[in-house]
Amino acid sequence: MTKSCAIVGGGLAGLCAYATLRKGGLEPAEIAVFGTDPDPAGAWRVRAAAIRQRRMRSESDGHCGPTTFPGLAVRAARRRRSPLPLLLSVCDRFNPTVEEFLEHVAEVRERSGWDESFHRGRIERVRAVEGGFDVEGRGVFAHVLLAPGHPGLNVPVELERDPRVVHAYRPHAYAERVEVLGAGMAAATEWLNALAAGSSVVSIRRREPLRRPLNLPRELFTRRGLGAFHRTSMDERLALLRAWSMPSYPPGRAWDEPIGRATRDGRFRVAAELDGADQIICATGFTRGFRRDRLLGRLVAEHGLETAGDWIVLAPDAVVAALTDDTRTLTLAGVPAQWAYPAADTLAGARYVAHGFLRRVERWRTR
Amino acid sequence: MAYTLRGRLETRLGVSLLPLLAAATLALSLHRWWPLELAGLMLGVGLALDVFVYHRLLRYQPGWLAAPLALGELAAIMGLATVLSVDPPLGAALSFFAGSWLFAQVLGHAVFPLGRLSYGEDGGELGRAGPAAAAVAAALLASAGGVAWATQPPTVTLAAGTHEGPLVLDREQTLEGEPGAIVRGGIVVTADGVTVRDVAVVGGQNGIEVDGAERVVLERVRVSGATLDGINVRRSSVTIRDCFVQSAGEYAQGIDISFGFDLEPSLVEGCIVHGGQEGIVTHFAHARVADNRVSGTSLRGITLTEMSMAKVEDNEVAGALGVGIFCGDYSMCEIEENSVSGTRPDLASDNRTRLGYGIVVHYGADATLADNSLHGNARRVGSFLHARISSE
Repeated sequence: MTKSCAIVGGGLAGLCAYATLRKGGLEPAEIAVFGTDPDPAGAWRVRAAAIRQRRMRSESDGHCGPTTFPGLAVRAARRRRSPLPLLLSVCDRFNPTVEEFLEHVAEVRERSGWDESFHRGRIERVRAVEGGFDVEGRGVFAHVLLAPGHPGLNVPVELERDPRVVHAYRPHAYAERVEVLGAGMAAATEWLNALAAGSSVVSIRRREPLRRPLNLPRELFTRRGLGAFHRTSMDERLALLRAWSMPSYPPGRAWDEPIGRATRDGRFRVAAELDGADQIICATGFTRGFRRDRLLGRLVAEHGLETAGDWIVLAPDAVVAALTDDTRTLTLAGVPAQWAYPAADTLAGARYVAHGFLRRVERWRTR
Repeated sequence: MAYTLRGRLETRLGVSLLPLLAAATLALSLHRWWPLELAGLMLGVGLALDVFVYHRLLRYQPGWLAAPLALGELAAIMGLATVLSVDPPLGAALSFFAGSWLFAQVLGHAVFPLGRLSYGEDGGELGRAGPAAAAVAAALLASAGGVAWATQPPTVTLAAGTHEGPLVLDREQTLEGEPGAIVRGGIVVTADGVTVRDVAVVGGQNGIEVDGAERVVLERVRVSGATLDGINVRRSSVTIRDCFVQSAGEYAQGIDISFGFDLEPSLVEGCIVHGGQEGIVTHFAHARVADNRVSGTSLRGITLTEMSMAKVEDNEVAGALGVGIFCGDYSMCEIEENSVSGTRPDLASDNRTRLGYGIVVHYGADATLADNSLHGNARRVGSFLHARISSE
């Protein structure tokens, strides 16, 4: 049997796509997965551990399975023998623990046969050729999903050589006086971590963070909000994507109470500029844009793909339209797919892209 | 879920198919239309709310909101069912709604997402199955409507003038009298689903006799000159509205509903009953007697007895001899907002319950009285032989 599909990127988005293809009836022998670590949660696990994350921001359907049901709330209810996760889930208050999420990832990996399809290796070039795509000499595949992940950790240029600087997603301890750059979920987690470790914290930020449960308004996760998004002009869409990339973290007492207490005790304050602390934690996320990614940069350069700002222009189902037709498919997943699905860097986004990819593959298989 | 409008409608139609089918099956087995009418109402109300309310107000609908929305829908459906005279049995209607709702939740949260991978991100849309669901639902309702139309009972028009009775109605039908239509010698109803409307009945032993029939409706009938009962109902459930019964004979009674306790409740509403021994009487029956005017009776105005269960409200009972309203023999009666006046003592009787009481509760009966107006009666309220009265 020849492999018809390739997934370039062995992370969570890759696993999600793989599980979806398997659900669609493809055998492991028909799919090749290329990545540097056979553990699809390998990179994510390190980052979550670095910021001591205990709970997911995502909810019950933030998982790697091909269907929203059964979600992690069902799984937790079964495991805990309690209906509480289900009740919390219908109120949008269920956030699985990191441990539960990682167990689920391991289950999907095991059940889907991921390891049978996994090939170790970093892919840095994918070229359109007759009948499909050449994946850096590993073969020609009719359908390729690129899930390269984040290009790298973002540290402001002026701080790159500062010895006090550590990125939030790298393992670290906390000094007595800590300055945390950023105002998103990672920054908020770091405020609490540092306070719990006994540090004094200065939040360095230029604007107040948004408070919302998920990193985007909920209607943008379905066609209800996507319809309007897909009808925007290029400039409008760029503006929207930039606006939606503003940092945010969830509302709730779990965040507010420790910060309120520390503020009253003089251990937490907000500042606009760095102020000579012992340690600077950059909770500034990841570098952005296809140009920062060697694989995507080359893809654009070699095929003259249409781009807008930091994004490659994609069709609503996240395919690169210029390189996709009835005989082959090139789909982007993860952050690069935000042009098609603003929440593409979430698990729901990975599933959305995977579903679109499967539809293309199925259409091709039934021709 | 952030539903699209199409998603809402397709999901609604998708989850309605099995309840519609169940309703059709139920309707066939019960020979009643209310299950289908109720299912149709549920679908119609749901679709209307989807289009005009939910889609506009709810950009995102959390799971918990399904419960309060369902309660609102239930209220609207039951209200409409009342207005449209669907009249489903309350318990059955609530069970059907609850079952359908639970089934819809299971489909929406589990089955549809499993069956259609992109169900969630498509905002509840079902793809090609959506229009198919709409077509099946429409076909089901159209078929049911067609069957209802094709099998609706015939309407027989009784021309003006006098017709010799007794007329025996032993098939489901509607008998409608033209103005001036008179049946002499009585009407006998033995089939379910018979409606008699705008007919005058003169003479006969019983003016109108209903025997072993359910869903019988007697509307605007005028009965006079019967030697026994004006309207005699046995082992049946009836709705009697806006009737006029004039009793004259020594043993005559106005309306007698008996031995139908295990059947659906009967209703006597808006009737004028004059004369006879008892104006309206129930024996071992489940009934509601409301908004009637009963006068000139020689034994009791309204009687509920032999373990009847009845609600008697907003009636006017005037000029009864002996007793105005009587609840007896282990019956359970709610007697509310009635006006009883001019009840006279029966001086010819040595029965002490007949001393001109407005209301009598007798022999183990249990009556709740509330807001009754008793005036001009020889006595107000009497309780005899272990009967119990409670007042609200």
